[in-house]
Amino acid sequence: MRNFSLLTLLLLTSVSALGQDAAPGWLESTLYGNGKINVVILVVAVIISGIGLWMFSMDRRLRRMEKNLKK
Amino acid sequence: MKHWWWKSLAVALLLVASIAAFWVPLSPALVHVSPSRIAPGEVVIHVTGYNTHFTPEMRVFIENDGQQVCASMIETIDATHARIVMNVPQGLRASMSDLSVQGLLYPGAFYSDALGDGIENDGCGNVNKIELQTPGFTFPNRSILYESIRNLHFHVPMWFTMIVLMGISVWHSIKGLGDNSLDRDRKAVSAVHVGLLFCGLGLTTGAFWARATWGAFWTNDVKLNGAAVTALIYLAYLVLRGSIPDAHKRARLSAIYNVFAFMLLVLFLFVVPRLNAIDSLHPGNGGNSGFNDLDLDNRLRVIFYPAVAGWILLGTWMYDLRERSARLRELTEQ
Repeated sequence: MRNFSLLTLLLLTSVSALGQDAAPGWLESTLYGNGKINVVILVVAVIISGIGLWMFSMDRRLRRMEKNLKK
Repeated sequence: MKHWWWKSLAVALLLVASIAAFWVPLSPALVHVSPSRIAPGEVVIHVTGYNTHFTPEMRVFIENDGQQVCASMIETIDATHARIVMNVPQGLRASMSDLSVQGLLYPGAFYSDALGDGIENDGCGNVNKIELQTPGFTFPNRSILYESIRNLHFHVPMWFTMIVLMGISVWHSIKGLGDNSLDRDRKAVSAVHVGLLFCGLGLTTGAFWARATWGAFWTNDVKLNGAAVTALIYLAYLVLRGSIPDAHKRARLSAIYNVFAFMLLVLFLFVVPRLNAIDSLHPGNGGNSGFNDLDLDNRLRVIFYPAVAGWILLGTWMYDLRERSARLRELTEQ
Protein backbone atom coordinates (compact mmCIF):
# COMPACT_ATOMS: atom_id res chain seq x y z
CA MET A 1 0.00 0.00 0.00
CA ARG A 2 2.71 2.43 1.01
CA ASN A 3 4.73 1.55 -2.07
CA PHE A 4 1.76 2.26 -4.24
CA SER A 5 1.02 5.71 -2.82
CA LEU A 6 4.70 6.55 -3.11
CA LEU A 7 4.66 5.50 -6.76
CA THR A 8 1.61 7.62 -7.54
CA LEU A 9 3.16 10.60 -5.80
CA LEU A 10 6.37 10.14 -7.78
CA LEU A 11 4.51 9.87 -11.06
CA LEU A 12 2.43 12.96 -10.37
CA THR A 13 5.36 15.08 -9.24
CA SER A 14 7.51 14.01 -12.17
CA VAL A 15 4.80 14.98 -14.64
CA SER A 16 4.17 18.34 -13.02
CA ALA A 17 7.92 18.96 -13.15
CA LEU A 18 7.90 18.12 -16.86
CA GLY A 19 5.17 20.64 -17.46
CA GLN A 20 7.16 23.39 -15.81
CA ASP A 21 10.26 22.70 -17.86
CA ALA A 22 8.20 22.70 -21.01
CA ALA A 23 6.93 26.24 -20.69
CA PRO A 24 9.49 28.75 -21.90
CA GLY A 25 8.41 32.09 -23.34
CA TRP A 26 7.23 30.98 -26.77
CA LEU A 27 4.75 28.53 -25.32
CA GLU A 28 2.94 31.24 -23.41
CA SER A 29 2.10 32.81 -26.73
CA THR A 30 1.04 29.56 -28.40
CA LEU A 31 -0.08 26.44 -26.59
CA TYR A 32 -0.83 27.73 -23.09
CA GLY A 33 -1.19 31.44 -23.77
CA ASN A 34 -4.87 31.59 -24.62
CA GLY A 35 -5.77 29.11 -21.89
CA LYS A 36 -7.68 26.82 -24.26
CA ILE A 37 -5.53 23.72 -23.89
CA ASN A 38 -6.04 23.94 -20.13
CA VAL A 39 -9.76 23.51 -20.74
CA VAL A 40 -9.10 20.35 -22.76
CA ILE A 41 -6.90 19.00 -20.00
CA LEU A 42 -9.60 19.77 -17.43
CA VAL A 43 -12.26 18.06 -19.54
CA VAL A 44 -10.11 14.96 -20.01
CA ALA A 45 -9.30 14.84 -16.30
CA VAL A 46 -12.98 15.14 -15.36
CA ILE A 47 -14.01 12.38 -17.81
CA ILE A 48 -11.35 9.96 -16.62
CA SER A 49 -12.08 10.67 -12.96
CA GLY A 50 -15.79 10.23 -13.65
CA ILE A 51 -15.26 6.89 -15.35
CA GLY A 52 -12.99 5.85 -12.48
CA LEU A 53 -15.64 6.76 -9.91
CA TRP A 54 -18.29 4.89 -11.91
CA MET A 55 -16.05 1.80 -12.04
CA PHE A 56 -15.50 1.95 -8.28
CA SER A 57 -19.19 2.37 -7.54
CA MET A 58 -20.09 -0.52 -9.84
CA ASP A 59 -17.43 -2.63 -8.20
CA ARG A 60 -18.89 -1.84 -4.77
CA ARG A 61 -22.41 -2.56 -5.92
CA LEU A 62 -21.42 -5.97 -7.29
CA ARG A 63 -19.54 -6.78 -4.11
CA ARG A 64 -22.59 -5.99 -2.02
CA MET A 65 -24.72 -8.27 -4.21
CA GLU A 66 -22.12 -11.03 -3.97
CA LYS A 67 -22.16 -10.71 -0.18
CA ASN A 68 -25.95 -10.81 -0.01
CA LEU A 69 -26.06 -13.89 -2.19
CA LYS A 70 -23.57 -15.70 0.01
CA LYS A 71 -25.79 -15.29 3.08
CA MET B 1 -12.12 -2.84 -1.14
CA LYS B 2 -10.45 -5.93 -2.51
CA HIS B 3 -7.58 -5.29 -4.94
CA TRP B 4 -8.26 -1.56 -4.69
CA TRP B 5 -4.61 -0.73 -5.28
CA TRP B 6 -4.38 -1.83 -8.91
CA LYS B 7 -7.74 -0.30 -9.70
CA SER B 8 -6.60 3.03 -8.29
CA LEU B 9 -3.35 2.59 -10.18
CA ALA B 10 -5.36 2.20 -13.39
CA VAL B 11 -7.16 5.50 -12.82
CA ALA B 12 -3.97 7.27 -11.72
CA LEU B 13 -2.00 6.09 -14.76
CA LEU B 14 -4.80 7.07 -17.14
CA LEU B 15 -5.09 10.51 -15.55
CA VAL B 16 -1.37 11.17 -15.67
CA ALA B 17 -0.91 9.84 -19.22
CA SER B 18 -3.97 11.54 -20.72
CA ILE B 19 -3.23 14.91 -19.13
CA ALA B 20 0.38 14.72 -20.30
CA ALA B 21 -0.76 13.65 -23.78
CA PHE B 22 -2.44 17.04 -24.18
CA TRP B 23 -0.18 19.13 -22.02
CA VAL B 24 3.15 18.41 -23.69
CA PRO B 25 3.68 20.76 -26.64
CA LEU B 26 4.97 19.77 -30.06
CA SER B 27 8.54 20.74 -30.74
CA PRO B 28 9.09 23.73 -33.03
CA ALA B 29 9.25 22.99 -36.76
CA LEU B 30 9.02 24.65 -40.14
CA VAL B 31 5.73 23.67 -41.72
CA HIS B 32 5.57 25.70 -44.90
CA VAL B 33 8.09 27.34 -47.21
CA SER B 34 7.22 29.15 -50.43
CA PRO B 35 8.14 29.38 -53.25
CA SER B 36 9.30 25.84 -53.89
CA ARG B 37 11.58 26.77 -56.79
CA ILE B 38 14.52 29.17 -56.76
CA ALA B 39 16.48 30.68 -59.61
CA PRO B 40 19.71 32.69 -59.40
CA GLY B 41 19.11 36.27 -58.29
CA GLU B 42 17.10 37.81 -55.51
CA VAL B 43 14.52 35.45 -54.03
CA VAL B 44 11.86 36.35 -51.46
CA ILE B 45 10.95 33.39 -49.27
CA HIS B 46 7.99 33.15 -46.94
CA VAL B 47 8.46 30.75 -44.05
CA THR B 48 5.77 29.49 -41.70
CA GLY B 49 6.76 27.83 -38.46
CA TYR B 50 4.86 25.96 -35.79
CA ASN B 51 5.57 26.65 -32.11
CA THR B 52 8.56 28.68 -33.24
CA HIS B 53 9.82 32.02 -32.02
CA PHE B 54 11.22 33.82 -35.05
CA THR B 55 13.43 36.84 -34.40
CA PRO B 56 15.17 39.17 -36.87
CA GLU B 57 18.52 38.00 -35.47
CA MET B 58 17.94 34.32 -36.25
CA ARG B 59 20.23 32.43 -38.57
CA VAL B 60 18.70 31.56 -41.93
CA PHE B 61 20.47 29.84 -44.79
CA ILE B 62 19.94 27.63 -47.78
CA GLU B 63 22.04 24.52 -47.91
CA ASN B 64 22.82 22.95 -51.25
CA ASP B 65 25.07 19.92 -51.33
CA GLY B 66 26.98 21.09 -48.26
CA GLN B 67 27.35 24.68 -49.47
CA GLN B 68 25.49 27.50 -47.81
CA VAL B 69 23.82 30.70 -48.93
CA CYS B 70 23.05 33.12 -46.10
CA ALA B 71 19.98 35.34 -45.94
CA SER B 72 20.56 38.94 -46.91
CA MET B 73 17.50 40.24 -45.07
CA ILE B 74 15.17 38.77 -42.48
CA GLU B 75 11.84 40.35 -41.66
CA THR B 76 9.77 38.65 -38.98
CA ILE B 77 6.04 39.17 -39.27
CA ASP B 78 5.33 37.36 -36.00
CA ALA B 79 6.71 34.43 -34.00
CA THR B 80 5.72 31.93 -36.69
CA HIS B 81 5.95 33.93 -39.94
CA ALA B 82 9.01 35.42 -41.58
CA ARG B 83 9.89 36.99 -44.90
CA ILE B 84 13.42 36.25 -45.99
CA VAL B 85 15.37 37.75 -48.85
CA MET B 86 18.24 35.78 -50.36
CA ASN B 87 20.66 36.42 -53.15
CA VAL B 88 21.00 33.05 -54.79
CA PRO B 89 24.24 32.82 -56.79
CA GLN B 90 24.72 31.04 -60.09
CA GLY B 91 26.01 27.48 -60.05
CA LEU B 92 24.29 25.48 -57.29
CA ARG B 93 25.48 21.90 -57.55
CA ALA B 94 22.39 19.91 -56.52
CA SER B 95 18.84 20.31 -57.75
CA MET B 96 17.34 20.14 -54.26
CA SER B 97 18.20 22.60 -51.51
CA ASP B 98 17.32 22.56 -47.82
CA LEU B 99 16.28 25.59 -45.80
CA SER B 100 17.50 26.09 -42.26
CA VAL B 101 15.81 28.66 -40.03
CA GLN B 102 16.88 29.10 -36.42
CA GLY B 103 18.41 25.64 -36.39
CA LEU B 104 15.23 24.05 -37.76
CA LEU B 105 15.65 22.21 -41.03
CA TYR B 106 13.14 22.03 -43.87
CA PRO B 107 14.64 19.38 -46.11
CA GLY B 108 14.11 19.59 -49.85
CA ALA B 109 12.58 23.05 -49.60
CA PHE B 110 13.60 24.27 -53.06
CA TYR B 111 14.10 22.94 -56.50
CA SER B 112 16.78 24.95 -58.23
CA ASP B 113 17.40 25.57 -61.92
CA ALA B 114 20.63 26.69 -63.55
CA LEU B 115 22.94 24.15 -61.98
CA GLY B 116 26.71 24.55 -62.05
CA ASP B 117 29.92 23.41 -60.40
CA GLY B 118 29.29 24.93 -57.01
CA ILE B 119 29.20 28.32 -55.35
CA GLU B 120 31.30 30.31 -52.95
CA ASN B 121 30.32 28.88 -49.57
CA ASP B 122 29.03 31.55 -47.20
CA GLY B 123 29.71 29.20 -44.30
CA CYS B 124 26.89 30.52 -42.18
CA GLY B 125 25.78 27.08 -41.06
CA ASN B 126 28.74 26.38 -38.82
CA VAL B 127 28.56 29.32 -36.47
CA ASN B 128 26.50 29.52 -33.32
CA LYS B 129 24.92 26.12 -33.29
CA ILE B 130 23.48 26.64 -29.82
CA GLU B 131 20.99 29.10 -31.24
CA LEU B 132 18.50 26.23 -31.44
CA GLN B 133 15.86 26.87 -28.83
CA THR B 134 15.57 24.33 -26.04
CA PRO B 135 11.85 23.95 -25.47
CA GLY B 136 12.10 21.36 -22.69
CA PHE B 137 9.93 18.27 -22.94
CA THR B 138 8.12 18.18 -26.29
CA PHE B 139 6.60 15.64 -28.65
CA PRO B 140 8.18 15.18 -32.08
CA ASN B 141 6.70 17.45 -34.72
CA ARG B 142 6.41 15.24 -37.78
CA SER B 143 4.95 16.34 -41.06
CA ILE B 144 1.58 14.74 -41.89
CA LEU B 145 1.06 13.76 -38.25
CA TYR B 146 1.62 17.14 -36.54
CA GLU B 147 -0.65 17.49 -33.48
CA SER B 148 -2.32 14.16 -34.23
CA ILE B 149 0.79 12.40 -32.92
CA ARG B 150 -0.98 12.70 -29.54
CA ASN B 151 -3.37 10.00 -30.78
CA LEU B 152 -0.58 7.51 -30.16
CA HIS B 153 -1.45 7.67 -26.46
CA PHE B 154 -5.12 6.88 -27.07
CA HIS B 155 -5.51 4.77 -30.21
CA VAL B 156 -2.67 2.28 -29.73
CA PRO B 157 -3.51 1.36 -26.08
CA MET B 158 -6.95 0.19 -27.31
CA TRP B 159 -5.22 -2.59 -29.28
CA PHE B 160 -2.85 -3.48 -26.47
CA THR B 161 -5.85 -3.81 -24.15
CA MET B 162 -7.77 -5.91 -26.65
CA ILE B 163 -4.85 -8.29 -27.07
CA VAL B 164 -4.42 -8.68 -23.29
CA LEU B 165 -8.16 -9.36 -22.88
CA MET B 166 -8.16 -11.95 -25.66
CA GLY B 167 -5.11 -13.46 -23.96
CA ILE B 168 -7.02 -13.69 -20.66
CA SER B 169 -9.87 -15.30 -22.57
CA VAL B 170 -7.77 -17.97 -24.25
CA TRP B 171 -6.03 -18.69 -20.96
CA HIS B 172 -9.38 -19.46 -19.31
CA SER B 173 -10.47 -21.46 -22.34
CA ILE B 174 -7.40 -23.70 -22.14
CA LYS B 175 -7.84 -24.11 -18.39
CA GLY B 176 -11.52 -24.83 -18.95
CA LEU B 177 -10.74 -27.59 -21.45
CA GLY B 178 -8.74 -29.24 -18.69
CA ASP B 179 -11.30 -29.12 -15.91
CA ASN B 180 -14.60 -28.76 -17.82
CA SER B 181 -15.55 -25.85 -15.62
CA LEU B 182 -18.37 -23.53 -16.64
CA ASP B 183 -16.77 -20.80 -14.51
CA ARG B 184 -13.83 -20.78 -16.91
CA ASP B 185 -16.21 -20.57 -19.84
CA ARG B 186 -17.94 -17.55 -18.31
CA LYS B 187 -14.57 -15.86 -17.74
CA ALA B 188 -13.50 -16.57 -21.33
CA VAL B 189 -16.63 -15.12 -22.89
CA SER B 190 -16.63 -12.06 -20.59
CA ALA B 191 -13.08 -11.24 -21.63
CA VAL B 192 -14.03 -11.56 -25.32
CA HIS B 193 -16.98 -9.19 -24.82
CA VAL B 194 -14.78 -6.46 -23.30
CA GLY B 195 -12.01 -7.21 -25.80
CA LEU B 196 -14.41 -6.66 -28.68
CA LEU B 197 -15.40 -3.31 -27.18
CA PHE B 198 -11.77 -2.23 -27.25
CA CYS B 199 -11.40 -3.64 -30.76
CA GLY B 200 -14.33 -1.48 -31.88
CA LEU B 201 -12.83 1.57 -30.20
CA GLY B 202 -9.49 0.85 -31.87
CA LEU B 203 -11.07 0.49 -35.31
CA THR B 204 -13.12 3.67 -34.94
CA THR B 205 -10.33 5.85 -33.56
CA GLY B 206 -8.01 4.39 -36.18
CA ALA B 207 -10.45 5.31 -38.94
CA PHE B 208 -10.57 8.95 -37.84
CA TRP B 209 -6.80 9.13 -37.53
CA ALA B 210 -6.40 7.50 -40.94
CA ARG B 211 -8.77 10.07 -42.47
CA ALA B 212 -6.61 12.87 -41.12
CA THR B 213 -3.24 11.43 -42.08
CA TRP B 214 -3.66 8.93 -44.92
CA GLY B 215 -6.70 10.57 -46.50
CA ALA B 216 -9.31 7.85 -46.11
CA PHE B 217 -11.26 6.27 -43.27
CA TRP B 218 -10.28 2.84 -44.48
CA THR B 219 -7.18 2.01 -46.46
CA ASN B 220 -6.12 -1.30 -47.88
CA ASP B 221 -3.50 -1.69 -45.20
CA VAL B 222 -2.52 -5.16 -43.95
CA LYS B 223 -2.89 -4.18 -40.36
CA LEU B 224 -6.36 -2.70 -40.91
CA ASN B 225 -7.59 -5.75 -42.74
CA GLY B 226 -5.94 -8.00 -40.16
CA ALA B 227 -7.71 -6.16 -37.36
CA ALA B 228 -11.03 -6.35 -39.19
CA VAL B 229 -10.65 -10.10 -39.77
CA THR B 230 -9.73 -10.55 -36.10
CA ALA B 231 -12.90 -8.69 -35.09
CA LEU B 232 -14.95 -10.97 -37.36
CA ILE B 233 -13.31 -14.08 -35.94
CA TYR B 234 -14.27 -13.05 -32.42
CA LEU B 235 -17.78 -12.08 -33.49
CA ALA B 236 -18.07 -15.56 -34.96
CA TYR B 237 -17.02 -16.90 -31.56
CA LEU B 238 -20.08 -15.23 -30.04
CA VAL B 239 -22.30 -16.50 -32.87
CA LEU B 240 -20.97 -20.03 -32.34
CA ARG B 241 -21.80 -19.82 -28.64
CA GLY B 242 -25.30 -18.61 -29.41
CA SER B 243 -25.96 -21.64 -31.60
CA ILE B 244 -25.26 -24.30 -28.96
CA PRO B 245 -27.99 -24.71 -26.34
CA ASP B 246 -26.19 -27.19 -24.07
CA ALA B 247 -23.93 -25.32 -21.64
CA HIS B 248 -21.18 -27.93 -21.33
CA LYS B 249 -21.04 -28.61 -25.03
CA ARG B 250 -20.98 -24.86 -25.66
CA ALA B 251 -18.13 -24.43 -23.21
CA ARG B 252 -15.98 -27.12 -24.81
CA LEU B 253 -16.61 -26.21 -28.44
CA SER B 254 -16.15 -22.49 -27.96
CA ALA B 255 -13.00 -23.07 -25.90
CA ILE B 256 -11.47 -25.02 -28.77
CA TYR B 257 -12.57 -22.35 -31.24
CA ASN B 258 -11.07 -19.69 -28.96
CA VAL B 259 -7.64 -21.31 -29.08
CA PHE B 260 -7.66 -21.11 -32.87
CA ALA B 261 -9.10 -17.59 -32.77
CA PHE B 262 -6.24 -16.41 -30.60
CA MET B 263 -3.67 -18.04 -32.85
CA LEU B 264 -5.22 -16.24 -35.81
CA LEU B 265 -5.17 -12.95 -33.87
CA VAL B 266 -1.44 -13.34 -33.30
CA LEU B 267 -0.97 -14.17 -36.97
CA PHE B 268 -3.06 -11.31 -38.31
CA LEU B 269 -1.82 -8.61 -35.95
CA PHE B 270 1.81 -9.56 -35.46
CA VAL B 271 3.05 -11.93 -38.14
CA VAL B 272 1.36 -11.00 -41.42
CA PRO B 273 1.95 -7.21 -41.15
CA ARG B 274 5.66 -7.82 -40.51
CA LEU B 275 6.24 -9.87 -43.64
CA ASN B 276 8.68 -7.95 -45.75
CA ALA B 277 6.72 -8.58 -48.91
CA ILE B 278 3.79 -6.54 -47.64
CA ASP B 279 3.80 -2.79 -47.31
CA SER B 280 1.96 -1.17 -44.49
CA LEU B 281 1.23 2.40 -43.60
CA HIS B 282 1.55 1.56 -39.93
CA PRO B 283 4.90 2.30 -38.33
CA GLY B 284 6.95 -0.78 -37.59
CA ASN B 285 5.31 -2.92 -40.28
CA GLY B 286 6.24 -3.91 -43.80
CA GLY B 287 8.95 -1.63 -45.08
CA ASN B 288 8.04 1.15 -42.64
CA SER B 289 10.06 2.09 -39.63
CA GLY B 290 8.53 2.23 -36.18
CA PHE B 291 8.16 5.31 -34.07
CA ASN B 292 11.04 4.03 -31.99
CA ASP B 293 13.74 4.51 -34.54
CA LEU B 294 13.03 8.19 -34.79
CA ASP B 295 15.64 10.36 -33.21
CA LEU B 296 13.64 11.61 -30.27
CA ASP B 297 11.20 9.06 -29.38
CA ASN B 298 11.89 8.41 -25.76
CA ARG B 299 9.80 11.51 -25.26
CA LEU B 300 6.73 9.73 -26.57
CA ARG B 301 7.48 6.56 -24.68
CA VAL B 302 7.52 8.29 -21.30
CA ILE B 303 3.81 9.00 -21.75
CA PHE B 304 2.92 6.05 -24.00
CA TYR B 305 3.88 3.23 -21.63
CA PRO B 306 1.91 4.58 -18.64
CA ALA B 307 -1.05 5.06 -21.00
CA VAL B 308 -0.82 1.45 -22.21
CA ALA B 309 -0.52 0.13 -18.64
CA GLY B 310 -3.46 2.27 -17.51
CA TRP B 311 -5.75 1.14 -20.32
CA ILE B 312 -4.79 -2.52 -19.85
CA LEU B 313 -5.60 -2.28 -16.15
CA LEU B 314 -8.90 -0.52 -16.87
CA GLY B 315 -9.82 -3.15 -19.47
CA THR B 316 -9.02 -5.94 -17.03
CA TRP B 317 -11.13 -4.21 -14.40
CA MET B 318 -14.03 -3.90 -16.84
CA TYR B 319 -13.69 -7.60 -17.61
CA ASP B 320 -13.71 -8.31 -13.87
CA LEU B 321 -16.97 -6.38 -13.42
CA ARG B 322 -18.58 -8.04 -16.41
CA GLU B 323 -17.57 -11.51 -15.30
CA ARG B 324 -18.82 -10.97 -11.75
CA SER B 325 -22.16 -9.59 -12.91
CA ALA B 326 -22.58 -12.53 -15.30
CA ARG B 327 -21.89 -14.87 -12.40
CA LEU B 328 -24.46 -13.08 -10.23
CA ARG B 329 -27.02 -13.37 -12.99
CA GLU B 330 -26.38 -17.10 -13.31
CA LEU B 331 -26.73 -17.54 -9.54
CA THR B 332 -29.96 -15.56 -9.30
CA GLU B 333 -31.49 -17.31 -12.31
CA GLN B 334 -30.98 -20.72 -10.77
